[in-house]
Amino acid sequence: MIIVNYIASVFLIVLGFYTVCMKKNLIKVVLGLGIVDYGVNMLIVSLGFNAGGTAPIYQLSDLLNGVAPTFFVDPVPQALTLTSIVIGACVDAMALSLVIMIHRKYKSVNADEVRRLRG
Amino acid sequence: MIQHFPVAAVMLLFLAAFLVEIFGSKNAVVRNVIALEAATISAVLIFALVKPILIDGQVISYWMGNWAPVSGYAIGIGYEIDALNLFFALLVCATFWLSCVYSIAYMKNDRHLGHYYTLFLMLSGSVLGLVLTGDVFNMFVMIEIMTFASVALTAFRNDSDFALEAGFKYLVIGSIGSSMTLAGVALLYGQCHTLNMAQISAILAGRMTPTSIMALGLIIAGFGVKSYIVPFHTPAADAYTTAPTSISMVFSGMVNKAGVYGMIRMVYVVFRAMDKSSVQMLLVLFGAATMFIGVTMALTQHDFKRLLAFHSISQIGYVITAIGLGSALGLTGGLFHAMNHTLFKGLLFLTAGAVLYATGTTNLDKVGGLSKKMPVTAACFLVGAFSISGLPPFNGFASKWMVYQALYTRAMESGNFVYALVTVVALIVSVMTLASFIKVTQSAFFGQCPAELKDTKEVPFSMQLPMIIMAVLCVAAGIFYKAVDKFLLNPAVNASFNVTKYVDSMIGEGTAAAAGLENILVNPVEFSFWNPLVWLVLFVIVFAAIALVILYGNFARGKVLEPDTANDAKYATFFSGEQEEFSQVAGSDLFWGFKKDWKGYYKVLVGLHNGNVNDYSTMAIIAAAVIVLCMFIFMR
Repeated sequence: MIIVNYIASVFLIVLGFYTVCMKKNLIKVVLGLGIVDYGVNMLIVSLGFNAGGTAPIYQLSDLLNGVAPTFFVDPVPQALTLTSIVIGACVDAMALSLVIMIHRKYKSVNADEVRRLRG
Repeated sequence: MIQHFPVAAVMLLFLAAFLVEIFGSKNAVVRNVIALEAATISAVLIFALVKPILIDGQVISYWMGNWAPVSGYAIGIGYEIDALNLFFALLVCATFWLSCVYSIAYMKNDRHLGHYYTLFLMLSGSVLGLVLTGDVFNMFVMIEIMTFASVALTAFRNDSDFALEAGFKYLVIGSIGSSMTLAGVALLYGQCHTLNMAQISAILAGRMTPTSIMALGLIIAGFGVKSYIVPFHTPAADAYTTAPTSISMVFSGMVNKAGVYGMIRMVYVVFRAMDKSSVQMLLVLFGAATMFIGVTMALTQHDFKRLLAFHSISQIGYVITAIGLGSALGLTGGLFHAMNHTLFKGLLFLTAGAVLYATGTTNLDKVGGLSKKMPVTAACFLVGAFSISGLPPFNGFASKWMVYQALYTRAMESGNFVYALVTVVALIVSVMTLASFIKVTQSAFFGQCPAELKDTKEVPFSMQLPMIIMAVLCVAAGIFYKAVDKFLLNPAVNASFNVTKYVDSMIGEGTAAAAGLENILVNPVEFSFWNPLVWLVLFVIVFAAIALVILYGNFARGKVLEPDTANDAKYATFFSGEQEEFSQVAGSDLFWGFKKDWKGYYKVLVGLHNGNVNDYSTMAIIAAAVIVLCMFIFMR
């Protein structure tokens, strides 16, 4: 059932936002951002899914001549998801490296202590 | 030939980013040459598009790898440049070129400059790509590269006290915004089965479903994060403060303009939702809150760059308010103010950088009397301060006047009390902007010079040049406002109201007519109410009067105060009590009465800017939820 996918992706997004807002540990905040990303990726993949469709590997001429079956899974969302996963991995890596540097400087990864810049 | 220029300009910047990393990490000359050449060539390529697009009125469309649409369906990634894109692309090019020139002298004492230029060129390329692209997913990718490079540059001077912290907060809030944009783009794809903006515009014409309303809400929130409107503004203030000043200028000159561009492109062209009064009200209220909270926070700051950061947020409030009106006059004023904001805020950040370079501090309580030591910087700063405060004949006056006029017209037409109130708020914010720049002028450039700064020297010429160029542009845009309106703003406004040409040149002739899109021609705005040249004469007279007073005065400005305790009878023991101390009125002292009166308000506001990343994210997510909810309640 495709509706399960949508509910699950919204659940993941909300869970991720909850983590970002409520967890004081900066590493957990980064994990929350990752969870939001996974939720959005799941949403995109689900949008292109057709139950019972085949793999979308044809040439345009086959499609126009009616040689290939026309009921297949939309390939564009999968390409988008791959791009989005790569970007998400980069962002997570960078965020974690920043947390390491913050730990060296502040001797803490607690959000309540990493706030010298305020007001 | 000319249709390859935009994509070449973007590619060149990314290519140069890699070249700098490979060849320039050791050798300073190679590094500077590659960076400056790439910036110059891509700026020239974009400026070469002015004639065909702005003057002849063409729209250039370019399909990557020549994947042209098949039977009216876009299948490739397309770049499409009309007057609206080009207007923002020109701002972006001017900003990164000037910043690149400024960086060469300003950054020369830092380490790892190879990485700096790599990130700088990646940032420039991504913002240019974001502005020029015609594909929503490509736009998202560019946003992510932009966020990535901005975060790395914010944390670049990672030995400073706050850089890492600011970078992390920027990353968290920025990623929340990007995720929202991505979710919006996904929903848009789910409804339209295409990612091309022109085709989405044709498909969505008059057919808004709950899916596209949700997508609109998410995308407005996503671009709100990128343009730092108020509940999303917290990381911006930190990032502008801690980034190297050449990058602060890039942030306020083009990164938040990219957000404004995305907002205009999405709301006006792709969704064409600006005829709904609820969308207008939403954007106007967010804009009003942004300008008011930005300027009141700025009044209490005593760090030069943090003060400018809050002013930057406040001025974006004007832009969002003006484009939120949805009228031709409002959009003209909004675009004009966006352009002026790039000019004067860039200029002000550069002067702050010059002060930092020369004195080693941006704390307004520790500097003073610099106008005699650094005359060029001080003069440029005054031009920028007059422009941002909206004094005639500088450019800020022209654009702010348009915004007031647009707001007032809307208040009269609709009879809605809220618009009248926002007009008043806009006027008050302008006054408070002037007040806080009086504070900076007084405490940094006028008054007495502390003894430890008496050897301060003017900055090198390569740092003065960008400041002088921007100061000249500030004055020119204020005096020749009619030419600016006719050649830059009016084509851009027409492009955002009339999508027919945009759709037709991208997908094929007749697509727009089939979708039922119509043209509404917008004439250049008439300015019959005021003439800046009259004001210029008035100002010449006032300045002459001030000059006369100074000439008769004792030239106390900029003097190093060393009391003559030996000979002055005043200092004789038991004669007059205390010995005179250094008596400069410092930055945090000037408006203490105001701050005391508004103590309750400031307590709440400072409490909100408490530096906790969880609280900042909560504010951002609540605001995004409010935007989406408003869309659902009012657009059905």
